[in-house]
This record gives sequence, C-alpha cells and structure tokens, in this order.
Amino acid sequence: MEEKRLIDLENISKHYDGVTVLDSINLYIRQKEFVTLLGPSGCGKTTTLRIIGGFETADSGRVIFDGKDISGIPPYKRRVNTVFQKYALFPHLNVQDNIAFGLKLKKLPKDEIARKVDYMLDLVNLKGYNKRDVDSLSGGQQQRIAIARALVNEPEVLLLDEPLGALDLKLRKEMQLELKSMQQRLGITFLYVTHDQEEALTMSDTIVVMRGGHILQIGSPKSIYDEPKNAFVANFIGESNIFSGTMVRDELVHFCGTDFPCVDSGFGEDKPVDVVVRPEDVLLVGEDVGQVTGTIKSVLFKGVHYEMMIDAGHSTWKVHSTTMQPEGSRVGLAVVPFNIHIMHPMEEDAPREVEAE
Amino acid sequence: MTNFKVPVWGYWLMGIGLAAFIGLLIAYIRKNRGFRRPIFASPYVLWIIVFTVIPCLLVAYFSFTDPQGNFTLDNFKTFWDSNYATRQSLGPDALKMYEDMGLSLEDLGLGRSSININTLVFSLWMAFLCTAICLLLGYPAAHIMADREFRLGPTLVILFVVPMWMNFLLRTIALMSLMEDSGLINSILEWVGIGRQKLLNNTAAVQVGMIYNFLPFMVFPIYNVLNKMDYKLSEAAMDLGCDKWHVFYKVTLPLSVPGVVSGITMVFMPAVTTFYISRLLGGGKIQLFGDLIESKFLSTSLNEWNVGSALSLIMMILILLSLGLLNKVDPEGEGGGMV
Repeated sequence: MEEKRLIDLENISKHYDGVTVLDSINLYIRQKEFVTLLGPSGCGKTTTLRIIGGFETADSGRVIFDGKDISGIPPYKRRVNTVFQKYALFPHLNVQDNIAFGLKLKKLPKDEIARKVDYMLDLVNLKGYNKRDVDSLSGGQQQRIAIARALVNEPEVLLLDEPLGALDLKLRKEMQLELKSMQQRLGITFLYVTHDQEEALTMSDTIVVMRGGHILQIGSPKSIYDEPKNAFVANFIGESNIFSGTMVRDELVHFCGTDFPCVDSGFGEDKPVDVVVRPEDVLLVGEDVGQVTGTIKSVLFKGVHYEMMIDAGHSTWKVHSTTMQPEGSRVGLAVVPFNIHIMHPMEEDAPREVEAE
Repeated sequence: MTNFKVPVWGYWLMGIGLAAFIGLLIAYIRKNRGFRRPIFASPYVLWIIVFTVIPCLLVAYFSFTDPQGNFTLDNFKTFWDSNYATRQSLGPDALKMYEDMGLSLEDLGLGRSSININTLVFSLWMAFLCTAICLLLGYPAAHIMADREFRLGPTLVILFVVPMWMNFLLRTIALMSLMEDSGLINSILEWVGIGRQKLLNNTAAVQVGMIYNFLPFMVFPIYNVLNKMDYKLSEAAMDLGCDKWHVFYKVTLPLSVPGVVSGITMVFMPAVTTFYISRLLGGGKIQLFGDLIESKFLSTSLNEWNVGSALSLIMMILILLSLGLLNKVDPEGEGGGMV
C-alpha cells in the first residue's frame, strides 16, 4: 500500500425524494489499497460506490480522483471499472466478446485484444472458455468473467458491488481469497461494497463502517474488531454482548450489578457508557469465583465452539467456548480487564460523526 | 339480412355443455390429484383442428381442383395469366374461330395478363413499406416509453393501447372522415393557408391507414423487450467506455432484436393480407392482393372459389417463407455478429 491518495471524497451528500442517503461523507482511498464499505442495506455504501463510478451525481461535495475533480465526468471517461452485483454480463455476447468489450471500444489491434483476453481468462482460471455462451456458465464462473471484463481495461480502481452475494458459502470463501491475491498481484486499488462483515475482515486493508448515510468508523480490520467505536460497530462486526453501564472512575466500570476492572480511562466519573464484551472473551469459571453468576439457558453446537446463552439475573450473556456446560447448570463468568471495551453511548437516530482517521 | 335468434333450447344446450365440460374437468382433476397440462390443452387443440387445420386443408384441396372436384393446375395458371380461365371457358374452337376472323387474342383483350402477379407484387411492396415505416416510427417510440427516467412512459403506453380496443373498421372509417375533402385535416390546411388537398383515394391514403392500424403491433413487442432489459447492462456498457450512442448500438439494439423480429412479423402479416383498408381509403381504385382474394370468393362465377383458394395458398406459402427467414435471424447467436 502506498501513501498516495487516489480518491478523495469531500463532503459528499445525496438525497432521494427528500430522504438523505449520504450525509457529508468524507473518505480517502490510497493507491493499491483494498477498502471495504461495510454496513447494513440502506446505509449508503452502494450509493457511494455509484458516485465514484459516475452512475450517480452527488447533490453536493466533490469527488477528487488523482488530484482532479471528476464530479461532472461521465462514467465512460473515468479510469475506474465496476463489477456489478448480478454481474450484468452481456447475454448477446460470448465470454471472449464480453471481456473484449472495453478493449474493442478503445480500438486496440485484434491480436493484442486476443492476447489480453487469454491472459485474463488464465488469471480467473477459465482458460479455454473463449467461445462459451455466458448463460451456460455457473454463477461462480459468471462472476469470474465479470471480474475479468472489468480488470482487462487496467483500471486504476476496481469498484466491486457485493460481487459475491449470489454465490454459495464455500465458493464465496474461495473467491474472497482469490480476489485478495489478485488485488495484491496486480497492484490495483479495490473499493469493495458488502454487508458481510466476515468478508470485510478477510479481504480488506481498510474497513469503512457505514450506517444511515454516515461513516461510523474507519480502520484496519483488526482495529475495528478490537476497538469498535460504538455499540453499533461492535455488534455489526462480529457478535457481542452489549450492556449499558456506568464508568465509576478511570479503569473501573459498573455493569450487570458488579464493578469490573478495565483498561479504559478518560470517560469521567459516574458517566453512562456502553460496555461491549465479545462472546469468546467471556470465561466460564466456578460459580464461587465468577464476577457474575448465572444459569445456562441454552447450548448450541456451532462446529468449532459451543454457543451458550447464560441468564445472570438482570442480564443475558452470550458465551462462546470449546467446552460445554450442560443446560441448567450454575456457572460463574469472568472477563479479563483487557477484553472489556468501553464506549460512549450512541443515540439511536443520530449516529455521531466520526472523523475520517 | 335477417337476425338469427337463438332458440330457448339453444341456451339450455349451451348451459348443459358448459356444465358437462366443467364436470369433466373437476372429475379429471380429482382423479389425478392435481392439474395436468393435456386436459387444459384439449379445447385449444380442438379449436386449432376445426378452425385452422381443416380450413388450410380445404384451401389446399380447392386450389388443386376444378368445380367438379377433378385435379387440375388451372387455378395456378390463372394466377400466372389472369385471362387463362376465360380462354379455357371459351374453348379452343371459339379461339380458332376468332383467329380465322383475323382477331388476335390481344385484340380481344384475352392475351396473357399479369394483373394477379402485379397485384401481389404491389401488396408486398405496400406491406414492406408499411413495416419499414412502422419500424422507423415504432422503435423510437418504444425506446422513449421504456426509458426509466421518462415518467410519462406508462401513460403513453396506455394511450397507445386504448385505440386498439376499438374495432379497426371504425378506426379506418374515422380516419376516412378526417381525410375527406371537407374533413378536419383539410379544414386545418385551408385555415393555415395551404389550401385543401386531395388526401383520399390514392396509394398514400391506403398506406397511412395501414400504418395507423398496425403501428401498435410494432411498438409493443419492442417496448416489452426494452422494458424488461436489465438497466445494469447499459451501466456496465458505460462503465466499459460506451457513450450513450455506443450503449444503444452495442447493447440495447442487439438485445432488442427479438422484439424487432416479432414486431416485423406482427405488422407484415396483416399488412400483406390487408383488404378492407384499401377499399375504404383507396376509393376502390387501389386493389391489394387481399381485395383480389376477397373478390374471387364473393364472385358468382363458377370456378372463382378455386382460383381464390389458389391465390390464398400462394399468399400463405409466401408468408411462411418470410417467417422462416425471419426466424433464421437467431437473436441469441447471431446478435453477437453485430458488435
């Protein structure tokens, strides 16, 4: 990843029929970076992508590409290419002509087009599929052709709009790894849109968490997972126990009827806070030594671990553990200070603006 | 003309028939615990046999026989030479007699006449012109109506549909009164200072009538295809470097070929067999092949039905050939050749 900023979004806003879809978005994307826009449907991630692609125009704000304002430039003059959600392959063209579509428009010589098409087919592991009808291909194969069709134009940025959404789980995981390695080999900037947090964590250099037209947090997958800025991000990225609590003083928080030592400070004294504890960070201990005690309500086998719901009086805890406790048994719960994440409580309707990095 | 009154027992009979049919359906569905296709297809199969297959066979039979039912090719010879039948009916002796009197067949007006062929060629030309103009007018109209950003599109579609609810004869007669010497169009022309024009009773009037009647059949198939087309395909084309014109030329147009093919079929077929429009708007001076066939069947001469059948058969074969040609334009495979 290089330090050069390739795309800068400055105060981008967009409204549809009076509904605010994007509210003053600020975001920059560095060259060769893999950036993922992550959020639930309706958060504005696809609109952001379409504004960069040129299919929508922002009501206000500027799109800076490589130092120039491209806000008014039509899609066909932008140095970006898009992989569409449902592929949007041309049904009247075969695989080869689909991939060669952009090159033919640039009027490249025929032998060069053929060479590039073959190279791309090789890259996406579909060698020899040149003459195949696109409708005869499986979903995964169509996806690869869509990627090849965009990449063959050697864009500076590849925009991907939930490209793996229609694939089954196993194929999706394979494609995630392939996309990531492709991006690293070709050195192209990827801007990826998804609502799948696992996909975002697996592939991205930088994740941008969005909600309701706002950016909530920007950071590396690890920093977003470990240090979510608020309860929404924590809940969206992975599973969480979220409690309302009170910051008694620095490094001591009160929730679920007990004081827990923690490592956070600077929230003031007796201030309301949200407390997030990851299910895998809750330790099951003896009833007598736990910070909180409770009864196991349900046990689910999840493959690698068991998921247990524990009723601790006024609160319910979700716990992931590789050892199983039978339903109905009494257990003690403990959390080490480092794994207690304290954050400012979030107003439901007006998520706080978070500065871009 | 007498009004045929359905007798009371006729209604009873129809009611019993309907009840029996429904009963049969229910019994069949119960027995098979579900719907099966063949039983529902049977009324249509019967319909096709009675109203399509048998008439076609009859047409073929009539065109190869004389009024006595003997096999003959005379009807087709009459198509080639419209005076053939008359000469045959006069007989060789009579012709010989005229020849002896020094009168040639041409003098008698009995020489070879290609009126029938000329009429067919003229009809094909008119139908071709009508189809071409409908395509030129209809494609842009369909394209505008299917535009996602054009909010009046659905309203326009309805405005196109509503006139089709009216009988085409009514529409044609209305058009006739508009184009009359003292009609609305001429009044406007006079008012703006151009002066009254002779609008009716010529080829152009017939062509206008055909286009007016058949244009919706061109617009709707194309509109359907364009309306169902995934707009993401246009976006993808733009993304890959197409400006608006190239999007149309490289994606929209090739993908709308099926609609164009079916539009052409649906306009050309009725256009080439048109027979009433030409009489109303052409003032009886313009004869299309459809009029010719009609006149043969309305004629009181003995063998005209057979000649009419032969003409119909020729028409049917021509239509089948042109349909076959159109279907050869495989939109899936060949469309790619356009890029």
